[in-house]
Amino acid sequence: MNKTEKLNVVLAGQANVGKSVIFNYLTGLHQHIGNWPGKTVEKAEGTLHYKGYTIDLLDLPGIYSLSTYSIEELVSREYIALQKPDFIINVVDATHLERNLIFTLQLLEMDRPMVLALNMVNLLKGKGIEIDFEKLENILKIPVVPVAAIYGKGLTEVLGQGIDLTKKNLKPTLLKYGKEVEKQSEELISLLEGIDLSYPKRWLALKLLEKDEEIEKLVKNKKPEILEKVKSLCSELERIHGQDSSIVIADERCNLVSRIAKEVMRITKPRKVSFNERLDNLTCHKIWGYPMMIGILGLVFLTIFLFGNWLSSLLAGIFSGWQIGFQSIFGSSLLSSLVWAGMESVFSLIGIALPYILPFYLLLFILEDWGYLARVAFLTDNLMHKLGIHGKACIPLILGFGCNVPACLSCRIMETRRERLITGFLVTLVPCSAITVIIMGLVGKFVGIGWAFGLYFFAILMIFMMGKLASKILPGEPTELIMEMPDYKKPNLKTVILQTWFRLREFIYIAGPLVIISGIVIAGIHQAGWLPAIANFLSPITVKWLGLPVITGILLIFGILRKELILLMLAVLLGTTNFAQVLSQTQMIVLALVSMFYIPCVATIAVLRKEFGWKRALGITAFKIIFAITIGGIASRLLNLI
Amino acid sequence: MKELSLLQVKEQEEVIIVSVAGGQMATKRLADLGLTPGTQIKILRKTFFGPLEIEAKGSRLVIGRGLAAKILVRPL
Repeated sequence: MNKTEKLNVVLAGQANVGKSVIFNYLTGLHQHIGNWPGKTVEKAEGTLHYKGYTIDLLDLPGIYSLSTYSIEELVSREYIALQKPDFIINVVDATHLERNLIFTLQLLEMDRPMVLALNMVNLLKGKGIEIDFEKLENILKIPVVPVAAIYGKGLTEVLGQGIDLTKKNLKPTLLKYGKEVEKQSEELISLLEGIDLSYPKRWLALKLLEKDEEIEKLVKNKKPEILEKVKSLCSELERIHGQDSSIVIADERCNLVSRIAKEVMRITKPRKVSFNERLDNLTCHKIWGYPMMIGILGLVFLTIFLFGNWLSSLLAGIFSGWQIGFQSIFGSSLLSSLVWAGMESVFSLIGIALPYILPFYLLLFILEDWGYLARVAFLTDNLMHKLGIHGKACIPLILGFGCNVPACLSCRIMETRRERLITGFLVTLVPCSAITVIIMGLVGKFVGIGWAFGLYFFAILMIFMMGKLASKILPGEPTELIMEMPDYKKPNLKTVILQTWFRLREFIYIAGPLVIISGIVIAGIHQAGWLPAIANFLSPITVKWLGLPVITGILLIFGILRKELILLMLAVLLGTTNFAQVLSQTQMIVLALVSMFYIPCVATIAVLRKEFGWKRALGITAFKIIFAITIGGIASRLLNLI
Repeated sequence: MKELSLLQVKEQEEVIIVSVAGGQMATKRLADLGLTPGTQIKILRKTFFGPLEIEAKGSRLVIGRGLAAKILVRPL
């Protein structure tokens, strides 16, 4: 009997080439999204069965090269070199062939069997582009399969061709670059002989000529004298070509790709102003683009906010009914109340996930798939530069107004670790929907709507100041925006729904444990009767410095779980929802201000830990507590003067 | 021939890249996207203080203002 054979396959390609559509088509629900060990890079794996083979498919991040520009690039090339997948599926956007092939050449240098999945061939005709597939195959010397991923067309052939390659153990024939580069890389290859490194020799040689620091480190550990030779070869290249050797190699690739594109591609009809461009004349307009953006994003927010409030109060009603049932069965002993606290935490997790995070992700992925998020980045780049980050950061920051949790997770769209950290930190300063509940329910209702908006304005001001500060303090250069402007396309519903589902599951995995544990711990403290003692302990801060009633110490502890608990517990502890009877206007503003900044909620801390590690997560938390207390005290004194 | 920075080029004009005066990282990144010296590009859209949208080799790219200032070009 034949045992099923296992194959290890990777999907590699640039961003916006339809990689995730292919991945979702092939693996469906049999996929797992996690992180690369120790990295804040998403790792999407899935399994499928084809012709008696069990194929483990890994979707590498969308990248533009295999250098060290971003963490994604490093992770990808290490994976290909060390895990040696049975074959690579290089997904290429046929309508942007030339730009895509630059990456294809880099993948070919990795010396693994490879199939080129030429996606979006269904759009070629409309764009007036003709591609000679056979000729491309002959030049690249790897199988080229025309694919229309949104219809699932050509995908099984891609797999079939890949399996054929592994049967014959066919590796790609390498394409030749310019004379000098080839000569020098051969010289290096012979020097590298006998050194035990997982990377292919020619690739190493090219990377050394490109002055790749990571590879230099690797080689230095094995045979440091090679680096001397590399130096002289690089300067020789630089002497001949008159520019940095890393640029010489990149140039060689571009030139080779230009020649290939000229051979295989023909534009059959003159380019017309497309629907795309006409739409962009509106959405990216230097003036009208902004009101449009505010309109579109405002609509998205309003939808989420209205839907979220409706669903969350519906859920709250259901769950509170269960509490009475639970108590009538299990009584109100210490144990049963702790169990209930654990269950309550689960409910509160659901109460965030379903009403807010689910619609957030759904609408976000629709906007992304449609191509609008790139336009938002384009429009807001200037503004974001004032924060020391670039346009793409706008997306996490906007998300933060709904919920900080998905916002922190979406910081991954930033390229470098520095940018991710700054964006993540700023996101925790954005008032989320729970804080909106406090601001509106306390300040908006009892002090005046003007003061409520004033608080928002203050938060945004603080975000700008902190962004400036953080980008000054953190080492490293700010990165400039370089991104592709994708064409608008109809969102692929299956991809959107699958992505939403896997993200939602990820949120529950990350935030769940910490939310449940802290829920039980706080309930335990409550049952033990320690809350008043803690409130008293905190009173030098809450009463003396912030000028608030003693019970706010208890509120702020509950607020760690969920910010809106501050308002709910206030009503419970005071026995009234008419807060004006017990709090002065100044106290309300100070309480709202402190609630806004004082600590990220537990779920956010969990995500911060996952993305940046314990040290940074606790660092941000500690900073925020000190910051909130300082600002609150100052505000209390200033407001009392008025 | 007269060289100017990409920022000085008007919308809808076509130019050829002469050199990139940015750091190695940025230059390399541009090369990965196909923007090397000798490449013909067209300015599609400019904003008042923000990035530029350009077209090169059949695809559209957005480039931050600071980087665009470092790309030297000459008219066709």
